[in-house]
Amino acid sequence: MTGEMIAFFLLALTAITGGVLLINLTNVVHMVVALIFTFIAIAGIYITLSAEFVAVVQVLIYSGAITIIMLFGIMLTRHQEKEKTAPRLKVWLAGGSIALFFIIMYGKIKDLNFGQQNAELHIDNTKKIGIELYSHYVIPFELTSVLLLVALIGSIILAKRDDDEKEAKK
Amino acid sequence: MLQMSWLIPLFPLLSFILLVVFRKSSNENTAWIGVLLTGASFVLSFGAWLAVWQGDGIKVEGTWFQLGERAITMGYEVNPLNALMLVIVSLVSLLVHLYSKGYMHGDERFSVFFAYLGLFSFAMLGLVLSPNLLQLYMFWELVGLGSFLLIGFYYFKPEAKAAAKKAFVMTRIGDVGLFIGMVLLFWQVGSFEYDEIFSAIKNGELSQSMLTLTAICIFVGAIGKSGQLPLHTWLPDAMEGPTPVSALIHAATMVAAGVYLVAAMYPLFQASETALTVVAVVGGVTAIFAASIGLMQKDIKRVLAYSTVSQLGYMMLALGASGYVAGIFHLTTHAFFKALLFLAAGSVIHAVHTQNIEEMGGLWKKLNITGPLFLIGALAISGIPLLSGFFSKDEILMSTYADGKYGLFWIAVIAAFMTAFYMFRLFFLVFTGKPRGSQKGVHESPSVMTLPMIVLGVLAVVAGYLNTPWFGTFLTDYLSQGPVELLHADHHGPVWIPFVATAVALLGIGLAYMIYQKGSVSRDWLTRTFPGLSHVIYNKWFVDEGYDRTVVKGTTGLSWLGVWFDKYVIEGLVAGVVSGVQALSRLGSEMQNGQVQSYGTFAIFGLVLLLLIAALSGGYFS
Amino acid sequence: MSSVPLTAYLMLALILFCIGLFGALTKRNAVIVLISIELMLNAVNINLVAFAKYSLNPGLTGQVFSLFTITVAAAEAAVGLAILIALYRNRQTVNVDEMDTMKR
Repeated sequence: MTGEMIAFFLLALTAITGGVLLINLTNVVHMVVALIFTFIAIAGIYITLSAEFVAVVQVLIYSGAITIIMLFGIMLTRHQEKEKTAPRLKVWLAGGSIALFFIIMYGKIKDLNFGQQNAELHIDNTKKIGIELYSHYVIPFELTSVLLLVALIGSIILAKRDDDEKEAKK
Repeated sequence: MLQMSWLIPLFPLLSFILLVVFRKSSNENTAWIGVLLTGASFVLSFGAWLAVWQGDGIKVEGTWFQLGERAITMGYEVNPLNALMLVIVSLVSLLVHLYSKGYMHGDERFSVFFAYLGLFSFAMLGLVLSPNLLQLYMFWELVGLGSFLLIGFYYFKPEAKAAAKKAFVMTRIGDVGLFIGMVLLFWQVGSFEYDEIFSAIKNGELSQSMLTLTAICIFVGAIGKSGQLPLHTWLPDAMEGPTPVSALIHAATMVAAGVYLVAAMYPLFQASETALTVVAVVGGVTAIFAASIGLMQKDIKRVLAYSTVSQLGYMMLALGASGYVAGIFHLTTHAFFKALLFLAAGSVIHAVHTQNIEEMGGLWKKLNITGPLFLIGALAISGIPLLSGFFSKDEILMSTYADGKYGLFWIAVIAAFMTAFYMFRLFFLVFTGKPRGSQKGVHESPSVMTLPMIVLGVLAVVAGYLNTPWFGTFLTDYLSQGPVELLHADHHGPVWIPFVATAVALLGIGLAYMIYQKGSVSRDWLTRTFPGLSHVIYNKWFVDEGYDRTVVKGTTGLSWLGVWFDKYVIEGLVAGVVSGVQALSRLGSEMQNGQVQSYGTFAIFGLVLLLLIAALSGGYFS
Repeated sequence: MSSVPLTAYLMLALILFCIGLFGALTKRNAVIVLISIELMLNAVNINLVAFAKYSLNPGLTGQVFSLFTITVAAAEAAVGLAILIALYRNRQTVNVDEMDTMKR
């Protein structure tokens, strides 16, 4: 049992616990908080996979930005104190389908092994990613910025109260 | 004359149509329409018969329709056999028409009765004139319809209704046999024509087993119509109809149609020894069986009905014993004396308004025309020498003996004894002794009723001289012109047969005299000596009860089963399909609930199914 | 040195994906549905990064790709939430059950 393994198990356990709590908790805010643990644990998983930069981005974007956005979304809308459960039939259908999906996928991945690779990904990880992004992936990178811009403008327009509506409310 | 013979059945049809048109008329002169038109038929028939007597004959046919290469024809034919039948049918029909004018006097549906009589006469004459089996079959069913309508004429009486239904159903059982036989013949020969069938038989185109099968199938039809043994029960019940109807249909003509059918198809029967034996045995057993029932009956018409069944059995026996001429001869004489007996019985009933012979008696003086006529009929049927029944019955006994069927011969002799006994039991109980029951205002029937009886009385005496060993065998010579080759043209059996027949007849009459007239033998002597047997005979051998317990109960049970099956299995199946479709569509409409999550769930479900199939078949991943 | 096998990472990703899918399909609150979708995307990212290390020819491509995915996910979260707010303003609810205008 190496340290890497211990770390992996702890992180995986945290991530799964967060997910299970997301399903089982009734208060919406608690759910989101439970998910923060999952996101941070996933960041840890990235580190064990020698992807420090991605891990940091994960912490920033998910644990930080998206969770906060969601909390804002929750606060801006009205909620019942307790989540009502979905119709039983639908839960069983979805649960059954997903369980089956899990079993099939498990059967396929359980023996997957490409062998140990002596990769040097963790050495100068951030620098290498930067070089890759600005050389090989420069066009997707720029397109991503356009996408973010469009998302920004779109969000503002969607969330903005219409003038007509305002007129109607008056 | 022969060229006009197609008109013979059309006159009664015209009578039927006219009378149906005038059925609302309360005027009883409408009867003359029927009488006159039937009279015209009779004149034509008689003319045709005379022509045939001189060796003439006619057959006219036209194609009705084409069936592949086979032409189905329609037409008419006059040959010795059916010319004789034409005369019998039209004569009895004419006399019954005349008689009914008196008998049905005052009935509300007087014209309707005559219309039905016309319809029946039309059907019967058409049946006789048919040159092929298909046409015969159509008229055969029409005759059944006429019989049904006339038995059920008093439709307000439940017994009459039941009897009509019973007659229809029972004869239909026989008709199915006839139909099957007919279809088999058509399949084998390719034609319904008598001539073609006979020539095919002659050339040996049919196998022996097929011949026997078709002959027996056709004989089943004859059994149904002629009231032979297993299917006889409808005939006594048919006596619920008006008495003239019983005389016309259930004594002289329609029931003889079965005998006529066997006679008309005789070459087919001749070709199969087995079929002939079956005919003879059924006829013989029916003769003694019905005669035994006749011994105990109390209803005047039922005694006559069982007597009819018994005499028809005689005819079948004669035909089965190769006594073609004997059978036809007995058919002829029987038509006259049995019609006479029925009309006389009708006259008695008309006078005393009851059918129970226990309530009659001492009518000889009051009915001074009916009485002697009834006596003539009774003597004739008993086979007393010099009367018609003697010659024809003698002829039957001769041919049975000559054919080597000794067992059946003795059965026929015993049946002859029984016949004489029950006829004279009837005669003594009705006409002699002291009046029993209330007999008020008893008077002789009007001349319109007695006249036909007198005519029939004369015929009952003289019809026998058509074919006698003493003066000449006219009928044999006449019938041998026909298509049938007479195997044993001369049945010269032992000389003692006529004496035995006469002796048993006299013995029967004597016994009846001793019991019912002189009283020297106690009336319930038989009943006391054989209590079990007499009980069985009194209840008509429990045939009706037997049918009730087996066929009727079985059919009812089967119907219940069918109802149950239909109700629970078929309808359950239908309801199951319906509710299944409903549930499916309800599920479908519930699935379309507009929620993205549901659609997503179904999509995932479908995807997983596809994945499962792929994983199990090892297709995509491996 | 024995390290954590690829299968372990894939299993973790699979479990998280299934949890996310289940949440997305059965939760009635639209915000939670969005979050569940984020969880599913995260599971995919784990796969990408794991394959980046343990595939036949390891490289940075997987990590870069996961960065793009995170960006798109962020954009998607923002737009999704904006739609949610707009919808809430119109219908006064964030309950997924009551959003059945597709039926009409």
